[in-house]
Amino acid sequence: MSQYYLFQDSKKCIGCHACEIQCKTNKDLPEGPKPCQIIQVGPKFINNLPKMSFIFMPCFHCENPWCVSACPTGAMQQRASDGIVFVQKDLCVGCKTCVSACPWGAPQWNPDTGKVEKCDYCKDRVDQGLEPACVTTCTTGCLKFGKVEEMTQIRRQRHAESVASLENSSF
Amino acid sequence: MAKDTCPVQSTLQYLSDRIASGVLTDPKVRRICESIRMLVEEISLGEAGDSHMAAIDDLMAEFENRTPDDTATKTLDHLKHILSDRREEFVSHIETRNCPSHDCGVIAPSPCQMACPAGIDVPTYLALIAEGKDDQAIAVIREDNPLPWVCGLVCTRPCEMMCVRGRIDTPISIKFLKAFAAERALSDRRYTNPEPAPPNGKRICVVGAGPGGLSCAYYLALMGYKVEVIESLPFAGGMLMVGIPRYRLPREVIDREVAMIEDLGVTFSFNTRFGSDVTYEDMKTKGTDAFFLAIGAHKAWDLGIKGETDFPRVIDAITFLKNVAIGDRHAPGKHVVVIGGGNVAIDAARTSLRLGAEKVTIAYRRSREQMPADIEEVEQAEEEGIAFAFLTIPTEITGNDGRITGLACIKAELIAKKGTDRLAPVPILGKEFTIQADAVISAIGQYVDDSGMTAFNAVNWTRRGTIEVNHASMETSMPGVFAAGDAVSGPATVIEAIGGGKRAAEAIHRQLTGMPQPRMPKIPVRRRKVPMIEMTAAEKMRLSRPVMPMLNVDRRRTTFQQVELGYDEAAVRKEARRCLRCDVCRRCGKCVEVCRDKMGIDALHLGYLDFDHPVKTDFRMTAENCITCGACAANCENNAMTLEEKDGRRMLKLCGTILNEQEIQTCDACGARLPSAQYMAFISDKTADLTQKAEQRLLCNDCQRRLSAKNHVPTRPVNPT
Repeated sequence: MSQYYLFQDSKKCIGCHACEIQCKTNKDLPEGPKPCQIIQVGPKFINNLPKMSFIFMPCFHCENPWCVSACPTGAMQQRASDGIVFVQKDLCVGCKTCVSACPWGAPQWNPDTGKVEKCDYCKDRVDQGLEPACVTTCTTGCLKFGKVEEMTQIRRQRHAESVASLENSSF
Repeated sequence: MAKDTCPVQSTLQYLSDRIASGVLTDPKVRRICESIRMLVEEISLGEAGDSHMAAIDDLMAEFENRTPDDTATKTLDHLKHILSDRREEFVSHIETRNCPSHDCGVIAPSPCQMACPAGIDVPTYLALIAEGKDDQAIAVIREDNPLPWVCGLVCTRPCEMMCVRGRIDTPISIKFLKAFAAERALSDRRYTNPEPAPPNGKRICVVGAGPGGLSCAYYLALMGYKVEVIESLPFAGGMLMVGIPRYRLPREVIDREVAMIEDLGVTFSFNTRFGSDVTYEDMKTKGTDAFFLAIGAHKAWDLGIKGETDFPRVIDAITFLKNVAIGDRHAPGKHVVVIGGGNVAIDAARTSLRLGAEKVTIAYRRSREQMPADIEEVEQAEEEGIAFAFLTIPTEITGNDGRITGLACIKAELIAKKGTDRLAPVPILGKEFTIQADAVISAIGQYVDDSGMTAFNAVNWTRRGTIEVNHASMETSMPGVFAAGDAVSGPATVIEAIGGGKRAAEAIHRQLTGMPQPRMPKIPVRRRKVPMIEMTAAEKMRLSRPVMPMLNVDRRRTTFQQVELGYDEAAVRKEARRCLRCDVCRRCGKCVEVCRDKMGIDALHLGYLDFDHPVKTDFRMTAENCITCGACAANCENNAMTLEEKDGRRMLKLCGTILNEQEIQTCDACGARLPSAQYMAFISDKTADLTQKAEQRLLCNDCQRRLSAKNHVPTRPVNPT
């Protein structure tokens, strides 16, 4: 697992897809590949109310990535310093084994270059101390990027707040 | 993105589209655009000279004064913009003949086309012949060579020497397929001339109706010139008619192709010798704008031995073959000795045999390996019973009362000499002998007969007695006078003369329309890009070059009937299918490299791609290891290697040859196409050391993402009701 965590507060997300667009613009991608994608789940009726969620799907930068094992050319790599999984473009020959190997559909095919595109947490930006492109543009501020140890705090806090809110409380 | 594309190539594309779409309705604007397009094309091909940019600037200035409508103004603005903004890139194309973005000249001609002195687009016409489109094949050939039938029978075929298929088994029988297509198209009445440009009122005088003169006349006539051909012989064809015997090239073949050129309005004056029957001044007063000299090399070298001038039956091969061609059908003698080792010597010997000579011997100074004659010609001569005396230096023709009795010779040995690769024959003292003979034919080479050329006093001649020209434009040192063929090269081949004639025609047109001449000889141009022919790997490997059926030897020893009978139609179509299409596959070897070194699969066994270290080639072996991943296709810059999907199968094809096909799997959720089972097995092997994936549904990338998103919907406290 990379030492970073990209947290999406799906409760806040309105499905505007601005993150997708910012990502593609930053990487100058043609139609097709989406290194990150907002997937709409639902609507489903819960307690007779239609509910739906927007789930942000980047690469999870696994600890033991299937894509890295599957890649025959060594183009798919895991950065030793921080665990970011990325494609070394000049080594990629376009065999798409990573695309087939990933259980989450993270590696994306770029038909223009005949090579694979993948979320790398915008490692060039991260190295400059900046946030990934998607995070910078999030309309509702539901995307948060940081070190794993900092990020868990948000979820915990939110859960606590939720449990403690007036409606759900015993007050 | 726009900055990365080559401005030369994009301008060429832009102008081609403008011209082809017909939006440029003003004739002057169209003419200007066509001229600019031509210059830009030459820049993109690396042929442009120093004055090309200036010529474009002049045309642009002319354009500026003529903008009759919006479309023209738009075109002008576009050109102005690109020519000023990206000017240095145009200049660097001219200076370095290199396109850094590889947009220009990405599609280089095939080796066979590069080898052809006339630059015929061989793979294209072979593909057309394979599909039975003989008339289209002939049209493609005639864009570079107006005499496909003649060349189909007598060409020395440098193309076959370079044929890449020869690295796998044997070269494609390129030469004869051309003859078959020409014969079939003529027989079907579908061998037609292209539409010539309207007459432009300019007159050109071509001296000599041999292959060089005919080729130049044809291309000039197509460009709208009035061409007048002066010929001293009573028929057209030059050396085709008087040098090559009828058993190799029937007269009808020459007559029919010359008739096609005559149909374009080219006029021939036969039995007319330039310099005496018609003079330079005559032609000048008639208003001739340019001259093209293709007078050939019709004078034979003397043997320089004793007795050469003492006997009437000592004759040179050129005169002998000419006399036979004109109609003298007497045998030169009963026991004929031909001196020389080239094709002319073989022709003279085989002709003597057919005229009734009992014994014909070819005496050559060196050995069989050094003979300049074609190997097939030598073999055919041997089959007919011609004897060879190798390492034989003639010293004297002996006889009495004007009758030859023999040829005195001395045995030679071959010795390596400094400064030359060719072994020199050196006489061995004391090893004299005599060959019995009553006629001696010398065939030791020809030179250019310059009598009658005195009016062209400013033309420079080389030390070898040939006309000196600039080989890019075939222009002599005398302005307005061009030359090609044997007169320039010394005795050479039909196809070289045809190529020279074509180059000269283009140069004459440029000179008379005020265009600058190219600095380098033109790189052959690809004429079409015809679709690939689909076939199995097994068929591609199994096809083999057919054996040429021959006339029986008795008939060959007695008549002038054509010796090579030609393939039948089925054999021709099959042979054309054997072509590897090197016009599309440039044999860069990237596919093999990716598959072997990057993927570690090593499924492609294409040894023929590597010229220096040829390993085995077998298209059929691909299917053994290939997983149809398509990495080879993704890395093929010319789309020679393709991954196609048809009828539920995924096929890997190299220039139409199906290297492998596997069943396509589909996504369980949405039905999208997925890789083959072999491909999935390859991945499972690679990821085997990771946590075993549970037995999964077969899902496409999108569905996989969707499914995992669903699983990631966070569980959160639900409002109590």
